[in-house]
Amino acid sequence: MKILTRAILLTSALALAACSSPDRFRGDEVNLGGAGGSGSASDPTSPLYFQETVGDRVLFAVDQSNLSYEAQSTLDGQAQWLMANADYNAIIEGHADEQGTREYNLALGARRANAVQEYLVQQGVAASRLKVVSYGKERPIEICSQEACYAKNRRAVTVISADYNS
Amino acid sequence: MNTGQYISGIGHVGLIAWLLLGNVFDPAPEPFEVTEVAVISPEEYERIVGAQQPPSPVTEAPQPPQPEAEPEPQPEQPRPPTPPERPQPEPAPETPPQDDSPDVSKVQPPEPAEVTDEPPQIAPPPQEEVVDAPKEADRPQPRPSQRVAPEPVAPPPPETKPDDVVREEVRKDAAGDVKKDESEATAPEEAAKEIVTEAQEPPARAPVTSLRPKTRPPVPEKVAEKPAEKPAAKPETKPAAKPEEKPAAPSDDMRSAIEKAVADAAAGASSPADTADAPAGPPLTAGEKDSLRVAVQKCWNTGSLSSDALRTTVVVEVRLSEDGKPDAGSIRMTSSSGGSADSARQAFEAARRAIIRCGASGFKLPKDKYAQWRDIEMTFNPEKMRIK
Amino acid sequence: MMKQVLTLLSAILFLVSPGLIQAAPLRIEITEGVIEPLPYAVPDFVPENAAAAQVARDIARVVAEDLTGTGLFREIPASAHISKVTSFSSPVQFADWKAINAQALITGAVSLQSGGRLVVKFRVYDVFAGQELGNGLQFAGTQDGWRRMAHKVADAVYSRITGEGGYFDSRVVYVAEAGAKDDRKKRIAIMDYDGANVQYLTDSTSIVLAPRFSPTGDRILYTSYETGFPRIYVLDVASVGRRMLQDQPGTMSFAPRFSPDGRTVVYSLTQDGNTDLYTMDVASGRSQRLTSAPSIETAPSYSPDGSRIVFESDRSGTQQLYIMSASGGEPTRISFGQGRYGTPVWSPRGDLVAFTKQHKGRFHIGVMRTDGSEERLLTASFLDEGPSWAPNGRVIMFTRETQGAAGTASLYTVDITGRNLKRVKTMGGASDPAWSPLQD
Repeated sequence: MKILTRAILLTSALALAACSSPDRFRGDEVNLGGAGGSGSASDPTSPLYFQETVGDRVLFAVDQSNLSYEAQSTLDGQAQWLMANADYNAIIEGHADEQGTREYNLALGARRANAVQEYLVQQGVAASRLKVVSYGKERPIEICSQEACYAKNRRAVTVISADYNS
Repeated sequence: MNTGQYISGIGHVGLIAWLLLGNVFDPAPEPFEVTEVAVISPEEYERIVGAQQPPSPVTEAPQPPQPEAEPEPQPEQPRPPTPPERPQPEPAPETPPQDDSPDVSKVQPPEPAEVTDEPPQIAPPPQEEVVDAPKEADRPQPRPSQRVAPEPVAPPPPETKPDDVVREEVRKDAAGDVKKDESEATAPEEAAKEIVTEAQEPPARAPVTSLRPKTRPPVPEKVAEKPAEKPAAKPETKPAAKPEEKPAAPSDDMRSAIEKAVADAAAGASSPADTADAPAGPPLTAGEKDSLRVAVQKCWNTGSLSSDALRTTVVVEVRLSEDGKPDAGSIRMTSSSGGSADSARQAFEAARRAIIRCGASGFKLPKDKYAQWRDIEMTFNPEKMRIK
Repeated sequence: MMKQVLTLLSAILFLVSPGLIQAAPLRIEITEGVIEPLPYAVPDFVPENAAAAQVARDIARVVAEDLTGTGLFREIPASAHISKVTSFSSPVQFADWKAINAQALITGAVSLQSGGRLVVKFRVYDVFAGQELGNGLQFAGTQDGWRRMAHKVADAVYSRITGEGGYFDSRVVYVAEAGAKDDRKKRIAIMDYDGANVQYLTDSTSIVLAPRFSPTGDRILYTSYETGFPRIYVLDVASVGRRMLQDQPGTMSFAPRFSPDGRTVVYSLTQDGNTDLYTMDVASGRSQRLTSAPSIETAPSYSPDGSRIVFESDRSGTQQLYIMSASGGEPTRISFGQGRYGTPVWSPRGDLVAFTKQHKGRFHIGVMRTDGSEERLLTASFLDEGPSWAPNGRVIMFTRETQGAAGTASLYTVDITGRNLKRVKTMGGASDPAWSPLQD
């Protein structure tokens, strides 16, 4: 039964990632449900391991897109994982907190996602394996209107997807 | 490696399942409700749009006879039948051109059940105001009044609501026999000195002080209107003499000369010595003029004027009767500046309303100086009213 | 000869004048007045046949809601009326309306003919002058278009009294929102300016943002995540058919707006983390880059003549407003106040720019002249953004979002003087409003 559940989870994750049909993409499922991870957290080659152990996200200061020391060390881990698991690609999602206008926040989220992408490429990940997208303030994970929540929403999340180009 | 293959295998199977199932459940790109709701056929739309313009004007719908605005209301009688000498206009719709008037159409496509004309009232009442109450407030603080007047009026005590129908107007207007029953004092409507937007709203409540604005310093009366002093004899000689005295002046054509003569004669005529039937008296004092100005100001409402009309200064003439009431028919615009003909018309209409409304019970002017104020030229300059 | 004539003339005038001619008139100058809603009365329109009884009442009510909703007019309720209007063509008892201080009076009549044909006519009176303002007008249409006819009546009345174009017969496209803040469902919807007649134009499977009308109101631009990445779509209002304007892999495009001639779209495109402005010819799909700075350039809006573009950029270090030629070139900064400025929108009259301002943790909707002078903040709240102009340039609609986990978005309107802040009635949450031009 457990295996079945896992299989379903995995199926959806893969479908999301591999499917080129646009309608399949639903940002909330990727971000929010925890469905983005798959496999066992104890299996170092699983996306779930990447999500939970390596750390799939980095946080940013208000209106900034530069990477803190802490963020860089998380990204070092991400780069290593990605290089070790060449079957996977990644989409980097940039986000902003709600304290900004919609268009500007889209552009700001793009800056953040791009900062992560550039860093990973510098570390040796092939640029062709990485895509970026910004959600601006459309997909907060924390919903209070205080800095505690804002801090978690100003993020770039690396979402693993399987490479089925071959 | 094995794991990878499992993942891959399960993934592919799952993916196929997903695609199949997904397609089963995924409707066509346009959601059902939308296609249902929003569509009217292009031809239909074309027809509608094409048809709408010109909304056929009521073909010169003949003006129904109107009783002249009279101080005496005649509410008790049944409405007087239309005077026979003025033919009763046929109601407009009978005229043929309107029947041709194209359909304004079903602009809205047939509505689905989901949509009602009046969405269920989720929203607070339309006049909802500030969302975030100032935190310091220990009691609810109203926004500053939306009404702007030269003299701020503090909000009335909560019990006395500004009346919907402004009773004071009724009293003013009353030529005697309008209802007497509203003796209850109505609070003057709250007014701010200027528009306070939500953004500027002070933490404390709106302007509380009702300091009177400074009245204009009494300017020593400059009697520009060369009237009374002139000896009566002068007019007789002057007009004739003038053209001669300035032979060089090329502008002295017949027209201007006549105008001058007329003006001078008029000036002479009004001098007290000659005017037997109207007491002229000395010129109005600055205070008297000022109170007239203030009286008109109170009714000059620029709130509904376009921004163009708010750039238009109009000069309006009015004749008053001896009891200080304006003769509505005498009110006319003599000149305007700063705006188009249209905006001058709006500005004039607002000025006219001000004069008629505030003059309805007669402006308070000294009777013995009637000749001085029988004809008044008022300049309505909205410069200060533009953005308050 | 001339001299004699003049002498004679003046002598005559002199003799005759005492009764006829006055001294030079007393002159006064009025510079201060009051700003308050103009009291008016709109009795139920007269039904000219029995079938029209209900719609005659309804139309008068919508006219009243439109006018009163502007904040420029105040309705005197029917309970205060002394006169009843029982016939469209009988004389108006001005004294009765004066007595209740109705300064304007609107009378109308409605007939509902066979086949559902509805005919509405009306007149506007200046009560105190005892005159009709302009001539009566008549609209004909089908019964289900009655609200539009009422809006047309109100537009005509508004425009006769204020001298300004109306805006009631207009629509608003917006994003209808539902669901929790972290799982918000969005779809494009269109409604009458007053919230009536809602239709949904997309479903909520993808995030959709910031719809904008074409200059004729027949098409809508919006941004959707249908492909997983923000892309610009153009949607035909009548058929609800839509197409993606451009699909350039590795980029995001958003913040589109039509040029005043409807042939060009200006928008933001993000590539390698950098957001710049581009234009695209709608027919050919050819695009042209307008800016190439490392900063964020977004939220562009054309001047009504199409010659210039106002937009926001953080090239100075913070979000500020700039104006440049519609073909690109060196921009001129126009915002210099404290705080951050975004989402500028050029007014339809061309004289003002509306914007969102963030300052000290508050959001404001404001207006300034196009040279940046006379900045005026109209609102203040936890989160106000995205102004859109009414077709007459007198009113602004915007999004207001409330604070906290249960925060929701709604639409509000405010007059450009800062008066008359009101919430627009919508079912559920609503954001990103865009006002249509006046319908024909």
